[in-house]
Amino acid sequence: MVIRIAAVGDVHLDEDVVGRFRPALEELPECADVLLLAGDLTRHGTEAEARCVAQEFGGLAVPVVTVLGNHDHQCDQVPQVVKVLEDAGITVLEGDGVVLDCAGGRLGIAGVKGFGGGFAGRCASDFGEPEMKAFVRTTNESADRLGAALRSLDCDMLVALTHYSPVPDTLVGEPLEIYPFLGSYQLGQAIDSAPTALAVHGHAHAGTERGTTPGGVRVRNVAHPVIKQAYSVFHVGDQLDTDQVSPIGGSGSQRSWS
Amino acid sequence: MTNDQAGGAAPPDEYVEAEIQRLLTEDPAVAEQGITVIRREDALVLYGEVESPHRREEILRRVSERFPDVSITSDIGVIRAQAPTEIEQLP
Ligand SMILES: [Fe+2]
Ligand SMILES: [Fe+2]
Repeated sequence: MVIRIAAVGDVHLDEDVVGRFRPALEELPECADVLLLAGDLTRHGTEAEARCVAQEFGGLAVPVVTVLGNHDHQCDQVPQVVKVLEDAGITVLEGDGVVLDCAGGRLGIAGVKGFGGGFAGRCASDFGEPEMKAFVRTTNESADRLGAALRSLDCDMLVALTHYSPVPDTLVGEPLEIYPFLGSYQLGQAIDSAPTALAVHGHAHAGTERGTTPGGVRVRNVAHPVIKQAYSVFHVGDQLDTDQVSPIGGSGSQRSWS
Repeated sequence: MTNDQAGGAAPPDEYVEAEIQRLLTEDPAVAEQGITVIRREDALVLYGEVESPHRREEILRRVSERFPDVSITSDIGVIRAQAPTEIEQLP
């Protein structure tokens, strides 16, 4: 069983970008069963920018599934943004999931924007001022909803889609000081609470492509500035043609920080 | 760069850098979180990747406008958006 997953995040669309991705997107049916968007679809989260996203990523020959990012929240127009995307046929996940029938089996995708908080031993705690507790509770609630969504899906292969990172591995390249604003270990814990095959995120524009959760789930940072192409394609499955097993660039594991 | 521009009235460099960093994110005309400000001998250099040539020009324009006394150059790239030539196999 092989399922072909295309993914990109942080496309930050506005009028000046419309059309740049489209030629590559038209090739999707040949190489992927689904396109995942890892949030930060827009610059400021306006309805007008969402229409640019709908124009660029709508009407494709493969299903498109997305989560929102922090930029998509900037103008407090989330309901309008979600409506424009859904009207264009894009599935928007936030604490829920979807199961798609692909040629290789049923692909379950659970998604949540996620939040910051930091990573084991270097993270914020639910303690002290109300503002601090609100921050950490946002982190915890988001991760709890991702975990519940992952565990609820009946499928052959499970993928987690977030904007914030579940691991520090894929943040390498970012200043250490801002890791707590880039993700949280609770997302990783949620991913490890289910038989997840792959976790995809964005947000860390200066990060690294590859990482692994403590439970061994592969993590990929697909932020556009990181992958530097319209989208990445992953063939996930357990019966790959051995001749084809050669990771891009040959640098199978790149875990210089963990 | 040292604190010598505009005599003793100029703010220390660290504060200028912090203000530029925040401007890059908080100015609606920029709204970029992936741009880094690096101090070189006689100037501040902006590094990073953006989605269009228009944004690259706008960043330099806005920052120079706000800090006319600071020498600023930019080495910002526009991210390629071509289809991938390879896939990654995840057994
Ligand atoms: Fe982003
Ligand atoms: Fe983001």
